[in-house]
Amino acid sequence: MGWFSKTKPMDDQSKAPTRSSRKQCWEARDGYFSCLDNISVVNALDPKHHEAIKKSCQGEENKFEQDCATSWIKYFKEKRVVDYKREKFMREMESKNAQQIDLSGMVKR
Amino acid sequence: MLARNRILVALKRTNQYPILGSRLLSSSAYLYNTSVDKKGQQPAQPVGSDVEPPKRKPLSRIAIGGSTNQSQRDSGGSIEFATWKAAALLVTLGGTLYYFFAKEKRRLEIEKEAEANRGYGKPLVGGPFKLVDFNGNEFTQENLKGKFSIIYFGFSHCPDICPDELDKLSVWLDELKKRGIELQPIFITCDPARDPPNVLKEYLSEFHPDLIGLTGDYNAVKHACKQYRVYFSTPPSLKPGQDYLVDHSIFFYLMDPEGQFIDALGRQYDEKTGAEKIQEHVKAFVPKEEREKRKDKWYSFLFN
Repeated sequence: MGWFSKTKPMDDQSKAPTRSSRKQCWEARDGYFSCLDNISVVNALDPKHHEAIKKSCQGEENKFEQDCATSWIKYFKEKRVVDYKREKFMREMESKNAQQIDLSGMVKR
Repeated sequence: MLARNRILVALKRTNQYPILGSRLLSSSAYLYNTSVDKKGQQPAQPVGSDVEPPKRKPLSRIAIGGSTNQSQRDSGGSIEFATWKAAALLVTLGGTLYYFFAKEKRRLEIEKEAEANRGYGKPLVGGPFKLVDFNGNEFTQENLKGKFSIIYFGFSHCPDICPDELDKLSVWLDELKKRGIELQPIFITCDPARDPPNVLKEYLSEFHPDLIGLTGDYNAVKHACKQYRVYFSTPPSLKPGQDYLVDHSIFFYLMDPEGQFIDALGRQYDEKTGAEKIQEHVKAFVPKEEREKRKDKWYSFLFN
């Protein structure tokens, strides 16, 4: 058991994650994130929050780290920040009565 | 019966008019022709008889009016009936025409969109590639011919977007199948190092049974991605066995049965709108030969 030993099935690079393992990871992630919501932490990667996370969300974090592939953990944590900023921006724009333009329809209807 | 009698009466009375007129004329001739002495006494009688008809004129007027009123009332009913019918016919015909023109207009718009995407000369998206499917058979652009295909690029270790998109694709495929449209769904991996055929097969087995997984060596995959203008990047310095993510573009590429690109569907299409968009494209598709033939027709301006 060294630093690079594979302890997680999700980190097995020789086979793809299955639907059930993805679901397990997503549930662990949601649990972890809702815990972060409770302590008002958005960016879990920011070192200044490490202490608070350790104190309040240790269990959730362990589960999240165990059930998800290492690359996914980083990805989800980054995505949480992006999603938060986006939502904040959208809310802000909405409060200023901005209208969202749907650019998806290339064809005039 | 009564109405007919009245009409007959009216006709008789109107027939009297010409007679009256001639009598009046003859009397006027007499009035002017004062020098005629021979008939001097005789015309007196016509004059006398002529004086009476004007008195009876109101009577005849009533009769004429009465008869016309009668006929108006009769035909009035039939006019109303015809108007009702005509209005109904107009509404149905107009509605149907409007529906068909609106439908045709939309179809032409979709067709034009596909034409614009197809581009001129060298196609903008798509082209020759040579990959291996998850059963180990060769798969090239030739395998796209003969059916509509939808191509998605991804990788099996994808955290959340690819599985979501593949689930969405499964919904589209089932919905379109219900509407009688068969698509050939293709998944091309951007991560050939971790996605050999057997892994791909197992991964895709959890999604739609029609899905075909394609892989190949790194250069073949890179080339195929380039043909479809798909951008992907694997981290530069990778240790064997290291876990990593692949950034890649997420579009569904709809290809026609001639292997030509029709449209790219992004994430904005949900389970419902995506299926509708694909259906519109499939319905609006016109084979290349026919498209070219149509260009020479007099009504070709319609398609420009």
